[in-house]
Amino acid sequence: MKKRHALAKSLRFFFLSLYLLAAVVPLFWIFITSVKPSTEVYTYPLIYWPKHFTFASYKFLFTFANFSQYFKNSLFVSIISSLIAMLFATLSGYIMARYKFRLKKTLIVFLFFAQMIPAYLIMIPQYKMFLNFGLIDNLWGLVIVYVNIAVSFSTIMARGFFSRIPRSLEEAALMDGCSRVGAIFKITIPLSLPGLAAIFSFSFVNTWNELFTAALFLSSKSKMTVPVALYSFISKSGIQWNVMSAGLIVALLPTIVVFAVAQKYIVAGLTQGAVKG
Amino acid sequence: MPSAAALFIRMMKLSNSSRQVGLKLKKFIFWMLFPTFAIIVVLTYYPTIQGAILAFKDYSVFNFQNIHFVGFTNFKSIFEDPGFAIAAWNTIWWIAFSVTLQFILGFALALLMRKPFKGRGLYAGIVFYPWALSGFAIGILWSWLLNGQFGLINDILIKMHIVSHGINFLANPEYAFISVIAVNVWYGIPFFAIMILAALQSIPNSLYESAEIDGAGFIMKFFHITIPYIKPTLVSTVLLRIIWVMNFPDIIYGMTRGGPAGMTNILATYMINIVYFESDYSKASAVGLIIISALSLYTLFYLKLTSSYEMGEL
Repeated sequence: MKKRHALAKSLRFFFLSLYLLAAVVPLFWIFITSVKPSTEVYTYPLIYWPKHFTFASYKFLFTFANFSQYFKNSLFVSIISSLIAMLFATLSGYIMARYKFRLKKTLIVFLFFAQMIPAYLIMIPQYKMFLNFGLIDNLWGLVIVYVNIAVSFSTIMARGFFSRIPRSLEEAALMDGCSRVGAIFKITIPLSLPGLAAIFSFSFVNTWNELFTAALFLSSKSKMTVPVALYSFISKSGIQWNVMSAGLIVALLPTIVVFAVAQKYIVAGLTQGAVKG
Repeated sequence: MPSAAALFIRMMKLSNSSRQVGLKLKKFIFWMLFPTFAIIVVLTYYPTIQGAILAFKDYSVFNFQNIHFVGFTNFKSIFEDPGFAIAAWNTIWWIAFSVTLQFILGFALALLMRKPFKGRGLYAGIVFYPWALSGFAIGILWSWLLNGQFGLINDILIKMHIVSHGINFLANPEYAFISVIAVNVWYGIPFFAIMILAALQSIPNSLYESAEIDGAGFIMKFFHITIPYIKPTLVSTVLLRIIWVMNFPDIIYGMTRGGPAGMTNILATYMINIVYFESDYSKASAVGLIIISALSLYTLFYLKLTSSYEMGEL
């Protein structure tokens, strides 16, 4: 019995390590490629550990390839749209959690379907619509599209978080002469800060990664977001893989940081009745 | 808008409140909900309908002005394109293999992680991270790992004497399709692991303890406690994941963009390629309408299947 237990334990350890390796190695390899000089990228046999560490690829990226501009564009679009979506979702999610009214079920189904319609399926009519308002090749246009991408799921999440905050706390504040909106901002929102962090992180990750709408909407080079820049890299042949790898690291880093900081909350939000992958 | 507001307010029926307070409260509710639902109506639902109408029109980069109805012309040109049939079949295989393998491997990971061990939190942080990453960037990343000459995967395979010289994975249609599915599986394992692990942790330990007293082994416990207990989670996670994977062109786009020669297209990438490379927006809309129809049929099926679970807690 004891022997069997030890075997099970080491098997478990073995498989856990396998998953760990599978998760880590690809990213590690990209990082290694990004700090190699190109002479060590295109050689055979492969060089597993760079002989000359260099950040030349990153330097090239941020100077010649104008990545600092794309990075700024991406940050701007993702942060602004996630904040707006979070604000909207706070308002509507609160109502959906606190009040009973006849159309509520319909509205929930409405949200549920909205978040199932993928961005790439509706980007053409959106493009046609935005063309009329001069919002094509305009970062604010992209912000509006991204608020829409983020808001339905954010509302579903916000509703979940708010419904776990006891109503009695707000009622006490109302009794003390607080206004209804005041009670929300003074009592409910501070209590749901972890939830709001999760909502923000979720929207940030989704909008940061969005490629297809951005690639259709943005045409001038100075407006490109990071995914669009990567797309323009792979469309051009002859891009050096050490530079490409540096671009990937730069594209992935913000979401890795957000995930590391907010993972606990994101996972909580994901598993509590939310459906987005 | 004010008339819509009035209509909405009249249609809301609040429970137990006097009429005076009621109207004020109704207005409050309306304006709190307004920003969210206004943007969804204008930017999700309206474009969905618009897209369905565009599918029957003539709208492309070469025709921005004179947009007119052309009947089924767009559909005809799609059905005449052999690439469409390939993409449609590929979509089915793409979903079937990706979701099945993501599920099995994610489930296994969740089971491995169920019992606490030293450093589990950190371990979770590391093995779950691919979930948050851009599918597109992941696709590009793997296309480098799978490179025929300088790729890490080939190097490992050669060192293990599985192959004698590097395989150009993404140039051969068959290997390319297997590759994009394999990467999609890699990408999707954390999602299933997260969902299933949460469900596993909701199983009361006492159930296992009493089963152990009765002498149940691992397999008995697995099939008689674990599976029945988390079945609702498993079913709804898989069913929703199918929709999500169907609409997930990102990895394929990063790796092959549907190539070589359209052999790794799924319907989603097929549509996007029409937008980007043919700039024929109405033809792409027709593909979109086909995808939406398939999606709706599937959703009806899904809702029917899960109607036993309460609808209110979607």
